[in-house]
Amino acid sequence: MTELAQNLIDGLGRGSIYALLALGVAVVFGVMHLLNFAHGELITVGGYVALWTLGAGWSWYIVTPLIVLSAVLTSLAIERVAFSRVRGSSDFTLLLTSFGVHFVISAIFLLYVSASVKPFDRPSWVTNTYSVGPLNIEVYDTVVILVTVLTLIGTTLLLQRTMFGLSLRAAAADFDTARLMGVRSDTVIRGAFALSGLLAGIAGVFWLMRAGSISPGAGITPMLKGVLAALIGGLGSLRGAVIGGLALGLAEVLLRSRLPDSIASLTEGVVFLLIALLFIFRPQGLVTVKHAVRV
Amino acid sequence: MKRRALALLAVVALLGAACGSDDDTTGSDAAGETMSSIDIDHILSADLAACEEAPTGDPIRVGMAMDFSDVVGFVDIPGSKLVPYIAELANCRGGFNGRPVEVRVAEVGDDAALATEDLLDWGAHFLIGPPFADFALPILQTTGGEVPLFVAASTEPTLADASINSYLVTFDDHQMSGAAAQWALDQGITRAIVFTEGEGIPYTGVNPDAFIAAFEAGGGEVVSVQTYVWFVDTDFSSQVNEIAQISENNEVVFSAALGFQVTALRGQLEGQGLDSLTYVGTDALDATGIQVEANNEGIAHTPHTSITAGDRIDSMLAAFEAEKGEALESRGFMALYVDSMFIGIQGMLDCGCDDTAQIGEAVQQISGFQGLSGEITYEGTNGIPPKAVPINRIVDGEDVLVDTITIK
Repeated sequence: MTELAQNLIDGLGRGSIYALLALGVAVVFGVMHLLNFAHGELITVGGYVALWTLGAGWSWYIVTPLIVLSAVLTSLAIERVAFSRVRGSSDFTLLLTSFGVHFVISAIFLLYVSASVKPFDRPSWVTNTYSVGPLNIEVYDTVVILVTVLTLIGTTLLLQRTMFGLSLRAAAADFDTARLMGVRSDTVIRGAFALSGLLAGIAGVFWLMRAGSISPGAGITPMLKGVLAALIGGLGSLRGAVIGGLALGLAEVLLRSRLPDSIASLTEGVVFLLIALLFIFRPQGLVTVKHAVRV
Repeated sequence: MKRRALALLAVVALLGAACGSDDDTTGSDAAGETMSSIDIDHILSADLAACEEAPTGDPIRVGMAMDFSDVVGFVDIPGSKLVPYIAELANCRGGFNGRPVEVRVAEVGDDAALATEDLLDWGAHFLIGPPFADFALPILQTTGGEVPLFVAASTEPTLADASINSYLVTFDDHQMSGAAAQWALDQGITRAIVFTEGEGIPYTGVNPDAFIAAFEAGGGEVVSVQTYVWFVDTDFSSQVNEIAQISENNEVVFSAALGFQVTALRGQLEGQGLDSLTYVGTDALDATGIQVEANNEGIAHTPHTSITAGDRIDSMLAAFEAEKGEALESRGFMALYVDSMFIGIQGMLDCGCDDTAQIGEAVQQISGFQGLSGEITYEGTNGIPPKAVPINRIVDGEDVLVDTITIK
């Protein structure tokens, strides 16, 4: 029972980061039908910002907002340079464009910075633990879960209580009708990319604190986790993205802990098998997304 | 007339014998020891601003099939910068028997076979290739085993096969992890926790397999085998929870993980109060800058070469930086790229030939070659030189050599 509780806390900590990543993916998908495979590059850029600023002796308190800011700016720049050129194109074109952006950003760091993994100092508190009864809880997991909850509350308020949120939700339901109703497409799309960058930046801070390193290909794993969680939750659903992220994090930790030692190395494979089974029975993901259908 | 002809014949025969004995000095002696005709220190000390007369003979062509992606680029990019520079130095010293060295670098990209064909069409006498079977095997398929390939940075035993002219330049996974196990036992540690990606998986599984075998053979007990994802995992919560249940806080923790993973794991274990564990890693720690990481004090690893300030590898890298204005990364691997070039050239000097298959035969006979990375012998092996494994450890923030272990 203690082990299970320990696993649940670990899984929620991991899943919270996935939820933030998935939410960023879902926001952009909602307005553009773009499954953004360049989402992880926002963390890559943030990672190099961390590398250079921490290397210059700056503290994590200063570096943290810089990582978030760099993710927002990068997200906006990607939209401006790449996705604005293919707006209105087929989903496949958008998908390929996102792959292109991913490869270009990776190659820039590879060619002009370094192909090597570059380590930087983690905050000293990242591995600290405290005890609650028989449980050893990482301070890191606690902070991640708290910040994620606060971020989700903030995002919900933004989407529910502001004109921008209303525009975003309207565009996600039916982009063309939203435009006819006066929603400015440029504003809502850039806003979606900025919000996506903000969420990726917050997730990136925690991701990088744990990783303590950066490399040109570092964005691939967070991108995969975010996209996978968004798919599990139901592509386009913001609520589903959060549920998908938490489900993925819990599944990884529980499987890793519960699988027999002889097949423990297949954890990732078993996770994918479960996802495949999920899609057989619920191809739309855990949450069904309702879209307006033109007839 | 007949006598005069016989005398002339005898003189010619004597001259021939004399020439033959000269050749022998650049080949192998009766004991099979390679008489190195390459004075590496002399070459490395060349002053590019004051070169000897430029060699004018047919060039010795060194082909480098390199991967510049984020998979292997961390070693192949600096390696492919260093080798042409060393060739410059060699040419500055007059080349080899009046022959200049030319180096061509072909990026393998998505098509290692195409890059290899490019190098073979150019006339490469031997190749230097990237680590990892994914990249090296297509090169071997293209050469058909007819051209010597030195897999400079690899320790993967499956890539060594002298029968198809494929050679490692350093020790293999078994030697490396066997040495790590021996070192741990020598410290009086009898319990081990091992991290693996799975039995038999190249590098990330083979090294732990080899460590377990050697550690248990030496009387140690492996108390826990944990799995993880190489290069990716930095959250070891599940594994740490399990380890906390069984650890006596006196084990050695072995993995082939990268430096940032080892320090992340260590942080989480220490967070659980396990602060007296000993950490041993493989040569992967060479590439990830463990030397500059926080929380790495006491971590041991098995680098390809142990570099100390002012030694000849350090001096070579400093000279490169001074000449080219760029500090090379992955320093522990660099001597292997240089040795790859020198061994290939040694093979050519030994056979006195340009035919790639004959060069390969000569390489297979090389014994006791004094390379930059240590002594290299291929004679009697399948392409894996038996080399001493350095054990480095972070002591007072410095990465220092603490032991050297040879595994037979």
